[in-house]
Amino acid sequence: MTDRRFLILCAGEILVIAVGNLLAALVIQILVLAAFLDDRRGYTIFIAAVALYAAAVAVLGHILLSLIALAVVLVCGYAALTLHDYRLTLWAGGSA
Amino acid sequence: MIRPTRMSGGVAALALVLATIAIIIESAAAVLAAGSLSIFLLWQAGRFERDLASVAASLTVSRDVDRTILRQGVEAHVRVRVDLTPPPGMEVLVRDVPPVVATGTAPLCEPGRIATYTIRLMAPGKTSFGGVVIEAADTFFTANLVCRRFNAPQIRVFPNGVAGDGQGVGASVGDAEVDRRSPLAGQGIRGFRPYREGDDPGLIDWKVTARHDALYVRELTGLEGGTPLIAVDLPARVGDLETFARFSMAVSGAVEGAINSREGCSLLVVTGPEVIRFLPGTMDIREALDALGRLTPVEPRAPLYRSPGPAILTARARIPPRGAGEGETVYLTRLGGTLSAFAGESPAPFAAAVREALGRVADLREVRIFSLLQPGDKSHLIQLIHEAKVWGMRVTLRAPPGAPDLPGVDAVEAI
Repeated sequence: MTDRRFLILCAGEILVIAVGNLLAALVIQILVLAAFLDDRRGYTIFIAAVALYAAAVAVLGHILLSLIALAVVLVCGYAALTLHDYRLTLWAGGSA
Repeated sequence: MIRPTRMSGGVAALALVLATIAIIIESAAAVLAAGSLSIFLLWQAGRFERDLASVAASLTVSRDVDRTILRQGVEAHVRVRVDLTPPPGMEVLVRDVPPVVATGTAPLCEPGRIATYTIRLMAPGKTSFGGVVIEAADTFFTANLVCRRFNAPQIRVFPNGVAGDGQGVGASVGDAEVDRRSPLAGQGIRGFRPYREGDDPGLIDWKVTARHDALYVRELTGLEGGTPLIAVDLPARVGDLETFARFSMAVSGAVEGAINSREGCSLLVVTGPEVIRFLPGTMDIREALDALGRLTPVEPRAPLYRSPGPAILTARARIPPRGAGEGETVYLTRLGGTLSAFAGESPAPFAAAVREALGRVADLREVRIFSLLQPGDKSHLIQLIHEAKVWGMRVTLRAPPGAPDLPGVDAVEAI
């Protein structure tokens, strides 16, 4: 079931690339990922983040710059997650 | 730290492939696809962390230890129940963390279920549990979180009496044992545990009770020393799950204790009037536990229909027929005759099998019967107790609190 769902996601990504238009690609991507999920709690937050990224891609107009911006966002997000995880571990361990 | 599953690894690989394609074909749509998948994973990770925090916040732990003051190396039985509220899409399992100075591991179980396990505390001093571990997983991430806040109850372990040059009670591994009089030294006392309904009030230790502001009873070494014959009466059905768990734990603990005593374990497993297995003096714990057959309930195939057995029938037949009146005397005379006739003719294969088994372990001085004493016919237990008495054995019955009395039992201990 999980493998089949992943294959459908791959097929959806091919469709996203094939569309060519950025706005259409954004809509299809949101629909594909929504179909991929069972639990869509907080999905609007994800939609907002992807829409912002799509706007950044459109404004920057350069592939490499867009990928670098993505890398920066991911590094910051990973740092925030690590900090949250550290604080949770401390709290559960009774140190905080 | 949270760990990715195979699914999130696949999504990350797909994002990398899309990023590579975007560079090659210079497609903004491919960049968007790669970026949205990466952001998707980041969002899922954030949501998983938030769910994990909510699970940890909803955690409640209820842990019972059968004795909280005990001698070094003595086993203690732990019952723990962990309750929490898992969010949708998240699977959660929990595992108790025993004290650092304890041997024994806790099983992994679902929240809301009671887990039972046995530990043996190997170092003297005060110690407590290490909390519980939450093992959470969803489609994209897994994580283990140790919650150390839930470490009650505190356990006090007294040394085995080896002299040292320390100055106080050890608080952790490596502390020396002290050369001073211990409450457990030289008194044949194995440990203390909280008072339970049905305990002999004479066993209450008032000093420990006053110190802890709760009733504590002494557990004597003599009661668990030696290697009694362990007779297990398999129930016909599980019944109350909690009681059955306590029953299984008590039987396994007794078998383990007998084997660890280096004198071997003699085990008799019956279900109704049927001897399932008999193991005289085995030293192999695996063989003994196999003989218990996971303590699966077995429906007896041949009930005795409340027959106390030929020996008791014969004894009853010998009762002088003296009734309150003439009618009763006549009745008793006739009953004696009838009982004599049936006692002589009854083949009583169960009693014969038990007699033969007890004859092979006649050097043992005690039979410890474990039974749930479920409603219904208990004739097989009456016959078993009677045969043990014929061999001059002391009979101890371990049964749930409030169980009915059986004739011939010397001591009843609550499971």
